[in-house]
Formats: sequence, C-alpha cells, structure tokens
Amino acid sequence: MSPAAPSAPGPDSRLAGLRRRAELLLLLVRLALRNLLASRLKTLIVGGIILFGAVIVVVGTALLDSIDQSMRRSIVGSLAGDLQVYSSASKDELALYGGMTGDPDLAPFPDYSQVKQALQTLPNVRAVVPMGIAEAAASAGNVLDRALERLRDTVRRQQAGDPDPELPRRLAAELAHVRRIVELVQADQQETAALQQESTQDAAAQADLARALAPAFWEGFHEDPLLALEFLENRIAPQALEGTMLWVRYVGTDPEAFATAFHRLEIIQGTAIPRGQRGILLGNLYYEDWCKLKTARRLDRIREKMQVNQQKLAQDEELQRWARESLSQIGEITKQLDPEESRQAVARLQQALPSATPELPALLRQLLTVTDDNFEKHYRIFYEQLAPLLDLYSVRLGESLTIKAFTRSGYLKSVNVRVWGIFQFRGLEKSTFAGYLSVMDLMSFRDLYGYLTADKAEEIRELKAAAGARPLARDEAEAALFGAPPAPGEPGTLSPEAGSPGPTLLVATSASSVIDEEQMLQAGGGGDRRQARLASRVYSPAEIEQGVALNVAVFLKDPSRTAETIQAITELGRARGLPLRAVDWQQAAGMVGQFITLSRLVLLIAVLIIFLIALVIINNAMVIATLQRVQEIGTLRAIGAQRRLILAMLFVEATAVGLLFGLLGALTGAGIIRLIGWIGIPASTDVLYFFFSGPRLHPTLAAGNVVLACGIVLVVSILSSFYPAWLAMRITPRAAMQREE
Amino acid sequence: MDAIVELESVSKDYHLGKVVVPAVRDVSLTVRRGDFLAIAGPSGSGKTTLLNLIGCVDVPSAGTVRVAGQDTSRLSERALTDLRLHQIGFIFQSFNLVAVLDVFQNVELPLLLQRGTRARERRTRVMDLLEKVGLQDHLRHRPTELSGGQRQRVAVARALVSRPKLVLADEPTANLDSATGGTIIDLMRELNRNEGTTFLFSTHDAKVMTHATGLVRLQDGRIDPEPGPLPPVTAAAAHLAAVAAPGA
Repeated sequence: MSPAAPSAPGPDSRLAGLRRRAELLLLLVRLALRNLLASRLKTLIVGGIILFGAVIVVVGTALLDSIDQSMRRSIVGSLAGDLQVYSSASKDELALYGGMTGDPDLAPFPDYSQVKQALQTLPNVRAVVPMGIAEAAASAGNVLDRALERLRDTVRRQQAGDPDPELPRRLAAELAHVRRIVELVQADQQETAALQQESTQDAAAQADLARALAPAFWEGFHEDPLLALEFLENRIAPQALEGTMLWVRYVGTDPEAFATAFHRLEIIQGTAIPRGQRGILLGNLYYEDWCKLKTARRLDRIREKMQVNQQKLAQDEELQRWARESLSQIGEITKQLDPEESRQAVARLQQALPSATPELPALLRQLLTVTDDNFEKHYRIFYEQLAPLLDLYSVRLGESLTIKAFTRSGYLKSVNVRVWGIFQFRGLEKSTFAGYLSVMDLMSFRDLYGYLTADKAEEIRELKAAAGARPLARDEAEAALFGAPPAPGEPGTLSPEAGSPGPTLLVATSASSVIDEEQMLQAGGGGDRRQARLASRVYSPAEIEQGVALNVAVFLKDPSRTAETIQAITELGRARGLPLRAVDWQQAAGMVGQFITLSRLVLLIAVLIIFLIALVIINNAMVIATLQRVQEIGTLRAIGAQRRLILAMLFVEATAVGLLFGLLGALTGAGIIRLIGWIGIPASTDVLYFFFSGPRLHPTLAAGNVVLACGIVLVVSILSSFYPAWLAMRITPRAAMQREE
Repeated sequence: MDAIVELESVSKDYHLGKVVVPAVRDVSLTVRRGDFLAIAGPSGSGKTTLLNLIGCVDVPSAGTVRVAGQDTSRLSERALTDLRLHQIGFIFQSFNLVAVLDVFQNVELPLLLQRGTRARERRTRVMDLLEKVGLQDHLRHRPTELSGGQRQRVAVARALVSRPKLVLADEPTANLDSATGGTIIDLMRELNRNEGTTFLFSTHDAKVMTHATGLVRLQDGRIDPEPGPLPPVTAAAAHLAAVAAPGA
C-alpha cells in the first residue's frame, strides 16, 4: 500500500478502483462456483462432456504428434533426409514411396555435381546425398544353375587331381542331382505343353532336352565333362524358366555418402559396397521376404506371430494357411537336394522327428505338419537339421544379381550387380517401407536409367573403331547399308547429344534408332571381359558425381529451419539457373507423408463433432439453469447490478466449468498418454511399424497438447454460454417481484 | 421537508398481446424523506406496478416519476440501474436472497456492487446492520438454513446496507405469519425512526397498515380518495404531518 497523503489521490484511487474491481470479480467467481455446486447434476453433465472432449483432444493430438515424430524419424532417417531437392521440370511431384500410379516421373539433374556444389553453399546444409529411386526385375540363378556350378567346381577339382577320397561320391551325387533336375524340367514342359498348342514348342529345345536325358549322355559325361557341362549350361539351364524372378526396389546413390548420412543404416551381413565400386546392398526384410526359401520364411512368420502377437495356430486362419502352403511346396525343398544330401536329410529327420518313414517327401510332410504343440520342436528341427543342407536364400552374398529395367528411352536394359551385403535401418527392421528398399551404386543406376556413363561411351567408341564403324548421318546410313529405306526399328546410329558439355554424357536421342550397346559388346565377344572389368572398376568421386541424379536428400544442421532453407534453395536455383525444387520430408514422402495430415483431419472432424454436440448440450443445460434463476438474476438487477455484470457472471461460470473440467480432462488425458507411453502401443502391422518407427509407439506428451485442449474447451464453453447469457441479460428487474405462488 | 419521490399524473399500461391493460392510471403522489408509507389495495389494484415505477424498475407510459430529483423517463437503463443501486433499497415478498451466498455475503452484496467501500468498512456496516436486525450470530448461515422471518431480516439488512434514501418493500409480510410479519414491520419502523430512512411498502394486511404513518389506497390503478379506517390520506399529498418526524 502506498503511504501517499490523502491529498494525492491519483494512483491511490486508481489502485483502490482496481482492488474493488478485483473484489467484484472475486464475488462473481464465488457466485459461479457456488452456483455450480448448487446445481451439481448440471455441472456434472456439462463437466463430463467437457472432460471427455479434453481427454480426446489431449490423447488424440499427443498420439498424432508422437506418430508424426516417429514417422519423421522413419522417413528422414531411412530415405528422405530433412528435405528433398528435385528438378522443377519434373512432370510429377516427388513421392519417395511411390504414388497412386507407381513411381513419379521426375526430370533428372544431368550433372549432380552442380546441384551438390550449389546446395553446399547454403550454411544450414549439413550433407547432401544423390538419389534415384526405381523398381526393376531382378533374377538370380535358378536351381539348375546352382547345381551346375557345384558340379563344375567338383569336376575342376577332380581334373586338378584333388586327392579327396570323398570326391568320386560327391561327383556321382551331383551328377544324379543335375539329371534329376533335367527330368523335372522336361516334366514341367510336358505339363505346359498339355495346356498349350503343340506348335508353340521349340523343336530344337526339345531335342536338346531329349539329348540331355538320354542315358548315353550321362554315360559319356566323363569323357569330356567340360563340354558336357557347357552343353547343359547353355542349352538346358535357360529352359529351366522357374529361376528366381524378383522385383527389386532400389535407390541409386553414392553408397558411402548414403550410409554416412542415414546413420541408422547398419550392415548385418557381408560388407558395404567398397568406395567407388559397383554393387548392391539388399534390404534385410526384402531379403528375408523375397529371397528366402518360402517354406523357411513361412515358418519364421508363423513363429513371429505366435510369439509377438500371441496367436494360436489352432485359431488363426492366416497361420493355418501358411502352414498348408508349406505342405504344398515340399518339392521346392526336394529339388534342391542331390541324392547324397537327400540321404542325409532322411537320416536326420528320421532321428529328430522321430520317424521310421524312409521317404523324404513323407518325412518333410510330417515335419511341416505343425500344431501349436509341436511347432517349436519342428521349427528347431527345420533349422538345425534340414537348413544346413539347403540354399535358404535364392540370392547369395557375393553373387551377381541381374537387374533388368526399361530405360528412359524405352528399351530393356540389364545390369549385373554384385550383392555385397544385407542392411537394415535400426528401428525400422520390420517395416516394408524401409526394409524392402535396396541400395545400389549410382553407376549401375544410371546404366539402368538409360544414361551413358563416360567409360561406356569410350568403350563403344573403341568397339566401333575395332569393328570399322564410322559415324554416319542417318540418311547416309540407310544408303550406305542398304541403299534403301530401313524397316522400322532397325538400328540407326548413336550420336553424342548436340552441345553436350564434354565427354560426360551421351544420350540415345532417337527411340526408333535404338542400339543396345550391351548387346553390341556381347556380340563382339567382349561380354565377359566387360562384365569383369565393370565389376572391379573403381570410379573416382568426380565420375560418380558428374552424372545423373533424380533427387537429392539434404540434411540440415538445424532441421527446425526447414521452411527457411527450402526458400533459400528455391532462390539459389533461380540465381544459378538450376531447376531446383525443394520439399520437406513429409511432402517428399508423398501419400505416406499425407497420412499424418489425413489423420489430423479425421481427428479434427471428430473433435469438431464432439464439441458441436457438447456445445448444444452445454447450451441447453445453461439455458435451463438460467431460466431457473430468473428471480435471482432479476433481484440482482433490481438491487443495482448492471447487465454486463450478469453477462460476466454467466461467462465466469462457463469459464469456471470449462477450466475446471478442461484441466481435469487434460490431466486425465495426460495420464492416459503417460500410461500408454509407459506400456507402448505395439505395431501390429508393418505399416504401423514404419509409422511408429519401431516395434512399439511410446507416445510422449507436449505442453502444447494440454494447452490446446484447455484452449478449445474454454472457447467451447464460452461459445455455448452466449445464448443463455443473452437470455439472462434480457431478464428485467421486474422478474424479482414475481411472486412464488 | 423535501420530496424524495414525486409522481405527476403517472399512468402505466401493459401490453398483453393486442390487449392494453392499464395497471396504474393518473396517479399523483409525493413521498417525503422520513415517510413510512403503506400502499394498500386488493390484488391487481396496481400496488406492485406503482412500486416498480417508484423503484426505477419500470418507466411510466405517461406522466413523470421523479426519484431523488431525477426524472426516470429521461434516464438510460444503466442510469436507472445506478439510481437503484445508490438510492433505493428493495425488500421482496419472497425475500429473494441469493441462495448460494451466506447471510453476511448477501448483506454485503450491494456494497460490492457499488464498488465504493473498502473491505473493512463494508464489514463494519454489514455487522452493524446485522446486529440491528438481530442476526449477528448467523453470519455464515445460508438462506435455506434460516426461517422466513430471519430471511426477511437479512433482506431488510441488505436493503439498508447501502444507506439508500428510499426503501421499497413489496408485500414484505405476505409470506410470513402475522406475528413474524409484525416484528418485520416493527423492525422497519424502528429503522425508519432511528436511521431516517424513508419506507414505502405495499400490503393488504390491515394490521400492518396500522403501523404506517400514511396510507395510499389503490383501486383499479387509481388512488382511492375515500378515507380508510386509519389516518386519512389525501390524494395530493400522502404525507401525514401528524406522525412524529424522524429524530436525526
């Protein structure tokens, strides 16, 4: 209190005025609270609704925020980076995980190094990673290829004079295996032939098969094993069509830069792709789901469902279906085993199961007939006894994968890439979004994409020189070759793109004059040489960077300044004449990224509906309460309360209810989130696994969630008191005189 | 003695749908400071309307009502409210205490609304009045915990706490038994005498009327000039000089 003299009333009286105002407000609050207590039922109904709404808001927004954060971790950490830059000349918007109609059509950056250099001038940019995402068909060797490979190895050892006493037996078993497979190939073809017309059968191929199956062929094998092997490899193996065809989704990138920037990447088998070399790293989940022996994979999945989701074989139809499918694909296993291995398998299974059955298929049937009781035992027998005899994966580390894709100009291109290792993203092990992606070197990616790398252009030049090819204009070429116009689709010439800077790039400019230089190389007898050269070729950083990239992942030093940096990149592009378009991780993720936005929309609508209902109910309750208090309000008016005081009284009341129950609801919601955060929400599907960025979502609470809930609740309670307040304001002091009769 | 209320040819009509109901017709009346005046008449004779007009709760359809020197028909809604707050105290037939406030808070309410008095002074004044109405031991009681007579005492204290020039009481004893009603009227009379507060109350109880220093009889909205059994009332001036003037 100011000790000022009464002669100086200025600040003192203002202070007193303030205090009296506060006293009045206190009275209003007291009145409000007393009134709320007096009509408990109304308060409870209104409060209950508000509480419910506040809980929904807190829990909903906290969950979504947490999913948003975990998704951010997933997307940023596995593919997107903080933001993505792609060409503004692109037809489609970038969608890292594919859009409605497959991968988006992006215009390439012809020279990534320019983009990289430009982006690195921005102070907030920490790292840039070149990318190109595509899908293609891939094939690994089939069962016959592998059997022949082993056979060739054994033959070589024998010819080298290996003294191993086991060798003759090995050789015999492997020969029998190959013979058995060739029989199966013929049986397959006959089955197909029964469904097709006779004429579609290739007579030469049938003759080859017949020759390979003749006893004389096998009796004569040892006379010239290498010649016989070549015949089998070249004439028979291609007929065994069921060689594993795979679909592989890959990101072509600088593997070293990729692994450094996406630090959640860990190699779990094999090694990283050595610096500057070609190769591919397969995603672990992809490897497990698509390259593993189907029966083994199904057993793994049944086990996982039983252990993680507590499902029972006896009750779950999906598990039963998987078990049945394993039973129907016993041939998949028997075909892999040569007679020696089959014998071993029979012996092991007879002992482990145990069983007296001498037949392998019957033993396998017994092994794969699983129930809740025997599953663990059979699973162990499969992996401990049978698996060592099998090729569990159709693609092995160190092997080459042949990847075939349609290039930009529309012709089929195939590239052999060595599988260096298997990787996964920590925390995203079970997510198909992250785990089905493989990492490929940029050079191979560019080959598949359809751009010529400098060394390939060089090789073609060499080849042309060797073959006496001269550069010819198209018109002259026709004349020079045929003296007549060529039929459509006939080879024309390949010409360096006009105005192309230096030897970096060559583009096949005309779709009608396509040449597959790969075919040319192979036709020229250089195929093996070239493949070998390519596989061991080490590319310099300049070669890697001065070439095509489709999009660029950018990591920021301060991710909170993403919007600002996007702006800066756009300006940078304009200044440097580069068609740069930058989008944040969420936009870059395409539909997947929209999930959160969509969920927020759904939550918003739900909250809106809840609060609309709340509004009506609260409004109703307050109108009734106001009508019950007509005399009281009239009395207050009569003894001198202004209208605005009545208004204030009702708003204070509404605010009190809103605040009290809103806070209570927010606290309840906070408690629920804490509880859920402690227990965690299990990611029951692989999509959830990605959204949760791990096996469980542990949602956290932000102050913002609580503040938002309180805010909404307050607004709603004040809104809902407008009509009753208006009614109350119209109550005249005369109402005080009304008699209670 | 100065007039605190002056009515000149006041009429008030109510509109019930398309029907015009005349509640008060051509009433002229002067109330002077210190009066203890009763308004009598059967139900529907216009007693409440007359009190409403004097209490600035309503404005006349014709004529002028002057309260504490101000013409109510010229005042805004807010100014009327202010006039009620500072010049007039109200006592209602059904007490009209705020149910959720206790005795002390109910009495304190007008002072809080006035926003002019400090807490300490408010307390002194509230306690003083509660002592006068004999409820100093019931400060923290809620209205529902009190008898009818006690409630009306609280109402009397509330009406007087802001030291109004005029207290209007609409049938203050109608909801009480006659003995209790009598004590309330005695209390009012006592305060009238000791504090000099002017009282104007309506009643249809003949016994209550005997306490009044003047009587206005209403019949069909008009003042009935016929002298009653009690001290006569003139139509022009309702003041009875025969009654002793207040001491202070």
